[in-house]
Amino acid sequence: MAPTYKLNYFDVRGRGEPIRFIFHQAGVSFEDNRISKEHWGTIKPTTPFGKLPFLEEDGKVIVQSLAIERYLARKFKLIGKDEWDALQCDAVQAFFEADAAKKEEKKAAVINDQAPFYLSRFDEQVKKNGGYLVNGQLTWADLHFVATLQVTCDMLGKDVVASHANLAAHREKILNLPNIKAWVAKRPTTPF
Amino acid sequence: MAGETGDGNKHIETNSAMSPKYKLTYFDLRGLAEPLRFLLAYGDIEYEDSRFTFEQWPEMKKSMPFGKVPVLEVDGQALHQSMAMTRYFAKQLKLTGDDDWEAMLCDIMVDTMNDFRMQVTGYYYEPNEETKEKKKEVLFNETMPFYLERLDEEVKKNDGHFVKGKLTWADLAIVAMIDFMEDQLQTKFTDNYSNLKAIKEKVLDLPQIKAWVERRPKTNY
Repeated sequence: MAPTYKLNYFDVRGRGEPIRFIFHQAGVSFEDNRISKEHWGTIKPTTPFGKLPFLEEDGKVIVQSLAIERYLARKFKLIGKDEWDALQCDAVQAFFEADAAKKEEKKAAVINDQAPFYLSRFDEQVKKNGGYLVNGQLTWADLHFVATLQVTCDMLGKDVVASHANLAAHREKILNLPNIKAWVAKRPTTPF
Repeated sequence: MAGETGDGNKHIETNSAMSPKYKLTYFDLRGLAEPLRFLLAYGDIEYEDSRFTFEQWPEMKKSMPFGKVPVLEVDGQALHQSMAMTRYFAKQLKLTGDDDWEAMLCDIMVDTMNDFRMQVTGYYYEPNEETKEKKKEVLFNETMPFYLERLDEEVKKNDGHFVKGKLTWADLAIVAMIDFMEDQLQTKFTDNYSNLKAIKEKVLDLPQIKAWVERRPKTNY
């Protein structure tokens, strides 16, 4: 009997969106529970470590967004073909801090220094890997990367990906995956 | 290419003539390299433990894949992201639990400890004295009790380990972090949490870990 899934997160994309992308790409249904700020105060003390997101699988509560993404990716076969590929997926977390992008005084540093630094390297990686981040195949690293970068661009108020040709093409490819495209078209519109 | 077994273990063949050559590059610190060093010690995996000074860092940074360390070279291919690499070796050494669910439980504990570690490191490296004092208050009065109580409870619930009553890489990685964080704060903060103190002692008493701790370079953290 297939498990039931319930994702609990704020009503934003943020750290929940990569998880949502994975479920949608895999075609696995889940309850997309969005918690308001007011409601969060009551729920927070009942969570293992006072944070969101948490996922419930048949009622069992699991936390830590990356642990959840990796677990689902393995289950839905979005983790590459062996442990070496899996390792490469994990390595695609080297990001500029999404939270830094929110602070006005840090935005310039992110846009002018960190974004070009990281994105030029990821651009090269996608070029070397046949248009994907890992070993010429779709993995959760691609979904995580595109979902997270959209959030970062929204926080920065600037599309920092556009100037990197391979990454721009990669983003289009991922956003055109049928299930992802359908999700993006119907998902709630949020500032980030 | 050494050791292609077709089951994802192509790069690990210890005790064979075809062992890959490993070179770990990091600051002369424990820090984020230490969980990986603990795993390598546990697995009796030989590697070159290369350390550079702060003066050398600006130049070294340029040759790192994403400008950060630790970096592990495997037969000349550069890997990065400390937890990705540590997890990979944990898998090879069968320290990720019995199935995917338990592997995830390991990840959950390590990532949670990492959240805690970032709060401590954020305080440790705060340049502004006034801000640092304020951070210290929050850290010691709120953050530390919050995490330590819950982490202690996890070990209690899991019969003396972080996951399901058995040794996993979560135990090794978390103890490696506790070890250097206690030096960053100059406080043995696990002393008041009996279950945490016990798992810390248990890991540091493992023969390979004990031997490593005895012979490793002495560093601030």
